[in-house]
Amino acid sequence: MKCKDGARIGVAILAGSLLASTALAQKATGEAPALAALVKEGKLPPVAERVGSEPEIIKPLQSIGKYGGQIRFGLRGSSDYNNILRMVSSQGLVRWDLGYTTVIPNVARAIDVTPDAKVFTFTLRKGMKWSDGKPFTADDVMFNMNDIVLAAALAPVSPRYSAGGKPVVVEKVNDETVKFTFTEPYGDFLAELASPLGQNPVLYAKHYCAQFLPKYNPKIDELVKANNQTDWKGLFQSKCGDLEISARWGNPERPTLDPWVIKEPYVGGATRVVLDRNPYFWQIDTAGNQLPYINELVAPIAQDVESLILDAIGGKIDFQLRHLDAPANRPVLAQNREKGRYEFWTANAPGGSNMVIDFNLTHKNPELRELFNIKDFRVALSVGMDRKEIIETALLGQGKPWHQGPWEGHPNFHKRISTQNLDFDPAKANALLDKIGLKERGPDGMRMWKGKPLKFKIDVIPTLQPEQVDMLQIIKRQWAKIGIDMDVNSLERTFFYERTSNANDHDAAVWGGQGSWVPGDIPQQIVPVHHDSRWGIPWVNWYKSGGKQGEEPPASVKERMKLYDDARATADQEKRRVLIAKIADIAADEFEVMGVATSAPTFGIRKKNLRNAPDAMTNSWYWPTPGPSLLQQYYYAN
Amino acid sequence: MLLAYVLKRLFWSIPFMFAVSLVAFALIQAPPGDFVTSLAATLAQSGDVVEQARLDALRERYGLDQPFLVQYWRWITGVLHGDFGQSFEWNQPVSDLIWERMGLSVVLAIATLLFTWAIAFPVGIYSAVKKYSIGDYIISAIGFIGLSIPNFLLGLVLMYIAVVHFGSDTSGLFSEQYQQAPWSWDKFIDLLKHLWIPVIILGTSSTASLIRIMRANLLDELHKPYVTTARAKGLSEWHLLVKYPVRLALNPFVSTIGWAFPQLVSGSVIISYVLSLPTAGPLLLQALLAQDMYLAGAFILLLCCLSVFGMIVSDILLAIIDPRIRYR
Repeated sequence: MKCKDGARIGVAILAGSLLASTALAQKATGEAPALAALVKEGKLPPVAERVGSEPEIIKPLQSIGKYGGQIRFGLRGSSDYNNILRMVSSQGLVRWDLGYTTVIPNVARAIDVTPDAKVFTFTLRKGMKWSDGKPFTADDVMFNMNDIVLAAALAPVSPRYSAGGKPVVVEKVNDETVKFTFTEPYGDFLAELASPLGQNPVLYAKHYCAQFLPKYNPKIDELVKANNQTDWKGLFQSKCGDLEISARWGNPERPTLDPWVIKEPYVGGATRVVLDRNPYFWQIDTAGNQLPYINELVAPIAQDVESLILDAIGGKIDFQLRHLDAPANRPVLAQNREKGRYEFWTANAPGGSNMVIDFNLTHKNPELRELFNIKDFRVALSVGMDRKEIIETALLGQGKPWHQGPWEGHPNFHKRISTQNLDFDPAKANALLDKIGLKERGPDGMRMWKGKPLKFKIDVIPTLQPEQVDMLQIIKRQWAKIGIDMDVNSLERTFFYERTSNANDHDAAVWGGQGSWVPGDIPQQIVPVHHDSRWGIPWVNWYKSGGKQGEEPPASVKERMKLYDDARATADQEKRRVLIAKIADIAADEFEVMGVATSAPTFGIRKKNLRNAPDAMTNSWYWPTPGPSLLQQYYYAN
Repeated sequence: MLLAYVLKRLFWSIPFMFAVSLVAFALIQAPPGDFVTSLAATLAQSGDVVEQARLDALRERYGLDQPFLVQYWRWITGVLHGDFGQSFEWNQPVSDLIWERMGLSVVLAIATLLFTWAIAFPVGIYSAVKKYSIGDYIISAIGFIGLSIPNFLLGLVLMYIAVVHFGSDTSGLFSEQYQQAPWSWDKFIDLLKHLWIPVIILGTSSTASLIRIMRANLLDELHKPYVTTARAKGLSEWHLLVKYPVRLALNPFVSTIGWAFPQLVSGSVIISYVLSLPTAGPLLLQALLAQDMYLAGAFILLLCCLSVFGMIVSDILLAIIDPRIRYR
């Protein structure tokens, strides 16, 4: 198993100042030929003025690039907006670095954090502009936070912007400085801001989006009518978008801070989406050339993965990870590498395993609940599983036995939770099952529980990670040998979601266990705080509602919830790591969930002459692959 | 007589349409969950996270927490005023979305219908008249193959061959340079260049089945006494064939119009999906998957209207060409 990224991860945000690599003497001098022509005609201000006096200076990965060309990537159907987001990347105040180890400044030039992790001061870049040339200032941050996020204008205040149940207070210090103050320590705040869902403070341009808010536009009703909308919220979202909706890419007029801006929008009838370079983009390379190098992102919309593969083979895709990366596609893509003029790059999981089985410890049926809560039952099923066989057949030999959690070499690596009870031992499994009251067997050789045949289902989404169904089929056969009757229950994703995360009607469910418990990455399999913690959904609801809903969890779970809150508050990364390790200790004692094998790396494709793209990167949503590898510094060699 | 027949048909279609709209709406509501659940599921599938509070807020805004009849009433009163509601997924009015794509769907469906008729009509007659000839056997064999190959498979195989062996661009209805271009003669030619693939794929099985129907019907007629009588009276073979038996065997062709109308949208869903055609099919499918209620509802209502309308048209046509139906 490859773990080469492990050692680099985990050193994150320490209290104190973070300063971007802005060499103050550096000035923007180079620009794309098309823009230079516009400047000559007097239609555009000079480049130094456009990027402002404090642009971020990006050191290209390999070499200084050349302007020109387009990157074509395939969108799938109509709900693939996050694919565009991942390519353009989210321009938040801060971002993750290439290695997914450190949060670094992005839109903000510098960040100052008080040692108690309560006050975060962001210094913005002087002269920075929106994509329409209007200045970007502290007022925009104030608009986003006070008029949208904290006013709960579009959605309730996200827990991301609260600590200790109290929302953040945002103040403008001057035109280039804003201060975020929490009442409780909130060490994970910068990591939360670096996630694609943490872009809120700089998402909307006040000078444009304010016209769609009743507060700023008393005649909003006329505008709503003129645009065929039903209310101002609909109007606002259709014009200014939101983090994760199609409309974010549907309005070419909306000013953004992105390297490319929408030219041909992502709307219902579209067959392709085109993004054109932002003439006011605020990053330059070390030679003073304004980024991005690439002129356009062009995304044809295919409905079907097969036609995407055909596009790739036909050479019509320049860079792609999403949709293509299923292991089954690899042979046909490898075979046609020459024809499509592309090569592969590696997308590594951030750690963890490809499937975790969650038994519903809060089952509505008291008899099954009692059984699932017996630790020896879960241990027996774990050692009754021959992981080597599963890996050899369903996973084509990729990976090694693993439950969950970061891999060796990672600072958060926890040996016991990842590797206990992994060895195949049917004798031990049988002995344990006999001992806990499952000795009696039915005529078919399957075990009985409380006088009735024991039978349960494991829910799975067959389209999410297709190999999960194959793995479960083998596990079903292996468990039958120790007298356990399990059925694989394939469900369409919405049904799955409804049945498990909402209704809590499931016996057991599986989910991908990728992750390494870094800040911002929710450790849902060791502490039930998320709707993917399918081993205790009522406990999740209890936690999220502050005890008002759901079901009060047992002491060991409550203790972990407390530790998790503490970890999120801690700015000191070493202390945070210790707290997470304590959670993992308790989770290892309880052994609530079990995994199968380490998550194997997948692959993306890219054109052979594309430069400055790393050969391997992390594949994660919190590090929205490939965005943080900065596509704006990719370029084509001839 | 004919007028009364037409009016009666039209009158009965009105209450029927209402019943259909209610069923359509109930069908969309039938799966567990709603747009918001499916949104959450979609996001979770790609590793994204959505907060419960945000979902609840969305549900309230879209009125998804209301009882079924309230939601139906809101929708149907809007529809009667020409307002089909908003698409949740696109934040766009449903009517804009649908008409954008219907145009190409209609072109595709009509082209397919013409293709089907143009092939099935002469070939069906030929294979009936020359029964058990070599030509008939060849046509029958091709016909059975055409019937038995699933459309989507034919589509995928054709696309694979086109891309891998000829390096040509097969998906979509336009080449890249014409995608956003305004309509022009060149763009029309470009459309024709792309249109033939889906037309053949979509038309194959219906052509094959129409050939079989035509052949069977004509064979029934050819041996009836009136044909022998006409032949005995010295009518030319061609004149005889076209004027009497073919006219009777035409009924199934006319009946196809009835189901050709709803096929405008639904018939090409899978093919449009596979070939990435910008027709209404993929939008309908996605709307159903995402439980984008009003968009899906508008499509299903449209489909039902088209079916009802198509049936009326084909009934009337049948009444015109076949007096027996009119006077019954």
